[in-house]
Amino acid sequence: MSMECVVQGIIETQHVEALEILLQGLCGVQRERLRVHELCLRSGPNLGVVSSEVRLLCDLDQPEPTWTVKHVGGAMRGAGADQISVLVRNMIESKVSKNALRMFYALGYKLDHELLKVGFAFHFQRTAHISVSVSSVNKMPKVHAIDEAVPVTPGMQIVDVTAPATSENYSEVAAAVSSFCEFLAPLVHLSKPSISTGVVPTAAAAAASLMSDGGGTTL
Amino acid sequence: METQPQQPPPPPVAEKLNPKLEKELNLESLKTRAVSLAKAIARILEDFDAYGRTNTTPKWQDILGQYSMVNLELFNIVEEVKRVSNAFVVLPKNVNAMNAAILPVMLSSKLLPEMETDDNAKREQLLQGVQSLPIPMQIERLKARMDMIAAACENAERVLADTRKAYGFGTRQGPSMLPTMDKGQAAKIQEQEKMLRDAVNDGKGTQLPPDQRQITTALPPHLADVLIINDAGKIALPGQSNNINNQGMMQVSGTQFVGRSAASPSGPNFDNTTSPLPYSNSPRATGMVNVPSPQHQIQQQQFQQQQQRSKLMQLPQHQQQQLLAQQQQQLRQSSMQGLGQSQIPALHDMHGQAQQKFQTSHGQHQMPYSQPMGAHQQFQARQLSGGHIQHSMSQGQLNPAMNRHLNQFSGGANSALFTSAQGSPSSQMIPNMSSMQSQTLVPRMQQFGVSGTNPQRSHSSQMLGDQMFNTSGMMQTQQTQIQQSQQQQQQQQQGGYGNMQTNQQSLQPNNMMQNAQQRHQNPQ
Repeated sequence: MSMECVVQGIIETQHVEALEILLQGLCGVQRERLRVHELCLRSGPNLGVVSSEVRLLCDLDQPEPTWTVKHVGGAMRGAGADQISVLVRNMIESKVSKNALRMFYALGYKLDHELLKVGFAFHFQRTAHISVSVSSVNKMPKVHAIDEAVPVTPGMQIVDVTAPATSENYSEVAAAVSSFCEFLAPLVHLSKPSISTGVVPTAAAAAASLMSDGGGTTL
Repeated sequence: METQPQQPPPPPVAEKLNPKLEKELNLESLKTRAVSLAKAIARILEDFDAYGRTNTTPKWQDILGQYSMVNLELFNIVEEVKRVSNAFVVLPKNVNAMNAAILPVMLSSKLLPEMETDDNAKREQLLQGVQSLPIPMQIERLKARMDMIAAACENAERVLADTRKAYGFGTRQGPSMLPTMDKGQAAKIQEQEKMLRDAVNDGKGTQLPPDQRQITTALPPHLADVLIINDAGKIALPGQSNNINNQGMMQVSGTQFVGRSAASPSGPNFDNTTSPLPYSNSPRATGMVNVPSPQHQIQQQQFQQQQQRSKLMQLPQHQQQQLLAQQQQQLRQSSMQGLGQSQIPALHDMHGQAQQKFQTSHGQHQMPYSQPMGAHQQFQARQLSGGHIQHSMSQGQLNPAMNRHLNQFSGGANSALFTSAQGSPSSQMIPNMSSMQSQTLVPRMQQFGVSGTNPQRSHSSQMLGDQMFNTSGMMQTQQTQIQQSQQQQQQQQQGGYGNMQTNQQSLQPNNMMQNAQQRHQNPQ
């Protein structure tokens, strides 16, 4: 079963640029732009007793949009899971053709909600393959109207750090993720998705120092 | 009982304890009590010894009394010891697997061998440079060194603390960050965080209420070539049954499919469903798995019809009649759309009995049809031609059966039922009857001559059973069979799906002709 390790945090939009500089320095790779239309589909009553949920992600930043289907399963529980600071959960994803949406609709899945995430991401190898994405989350006033999307929280963006794992290596991956997160601590506090962290009160100072000395060199 | 209470070690002669502390510990009285307890225990033991030797029966009452007294005294002493010995000794309540390994270490007053070697090594290392010096000088040197180290540590700690403060380390857990921020601001941030996390993780706050679930008219490019939106603001998937889209119900799921095809309705009126319906992966349906062909759709409708039929069978007869009346009316409504007989593929597909069954299904035509009707009309306006063909086919299918039925349906009672069904504000009918339809109903009815001209057909069971025209009415049976074969021939001549539109048009006159013929036949 494929798994992923996840932590999440929030950052004020005004410090996002500093975070980008910090990430640039930490990851050593170029950032990628992020513009993803995320459709969350839920199965109807005809497909089993328990409703299932899939997420269809359309990467709009490509010349030709690419689609991914993703199923996020239950989080690992128990004392072991409580002790690690990242969430470990089952996750399956696959590239799909653009017909996937139509197929899921035909199967009886219904649109539960949809989001437009706009921001940037870094993908790099550090013990595990870690992805960090910083994005503003937008909702649509009408179904599929991504051109009219408005931010859910205009002054606040979400930071997701994820890394694929397996049932054998998740503890190492979790350790790698959480040790990487330590480096981001001056700007963003990361936690399991269900745990609220708040913003870093001293982020402004850290951001200012990042922008002053290292800022010019990376961009 | 043998456990002597662990006393704090009596003060050694050489090293006197602080007198104040000694007084507080009250060691003397503790000692006295412990000694007296020991004596009491010794007495009991002696008594037992005596019992054993003289072979007399012990006085258990007394022994138990003594025992409980000793027990109480022991408990008191242990409590006392605990209170005073906290600073000096470890007093485990009991030894268990968890503390068994560490207890000896904790209780031991001597360093472990490896600790001792380590200690010695450190000491030697420390004294290496100063060993040659006299002792006071050594002490001085060491003191200076300790001061230096202490200063360095202090410096380091200050730097760490400052950095922590600057970067917010250490404030992550707990609400210690909150006081640094304005309370209102903190609350606002917390609320925003919740909104953001909810939106990302389970979509809370981004779902549109059902009444606002209007799909945008200008689909973004990545969806424009995937989805087709109809006027009702619903997604119309090309090549999918309208029933599914508009009603959101999936009547043709796999399980139903199996169940339906296996069940054979046993009612005498419906006993002609002997051939099981084709599975979607049967040879007939090959190549139509992903995009249902018109034929596939007709099959789907048949399932619905069968379901409907089984529902119908469960109803009492007067309700069946009513339903039939409604169905007939719906049939006429469908025909108002001026669509031809497009059931060719299905007819091609089913020979002999199969065709019979097909017509039967028409006979029991059904409620689900009425529901999507309103949407159908909108649908037609916008849908691609592909969808249009499918749509018209599904309705065109109704026509032949309708024609015949209206002929059969000529008893006075039936027409009364018609009228009442039309007039009654049935919730089912209202949304489906556009004004245009209801207006055109009247001439249509006249055209079909629905009046008491065929008295032998007024019986409801006949109505249900005589779709085949061969259960009653001798003359008509023959004529109808002739018609059927004619019709079949015509349809076979019409060819495939490609020129469906023209088929509809060309079929229309045929249809009329048949109607006219039948009207003539009826008075006989």
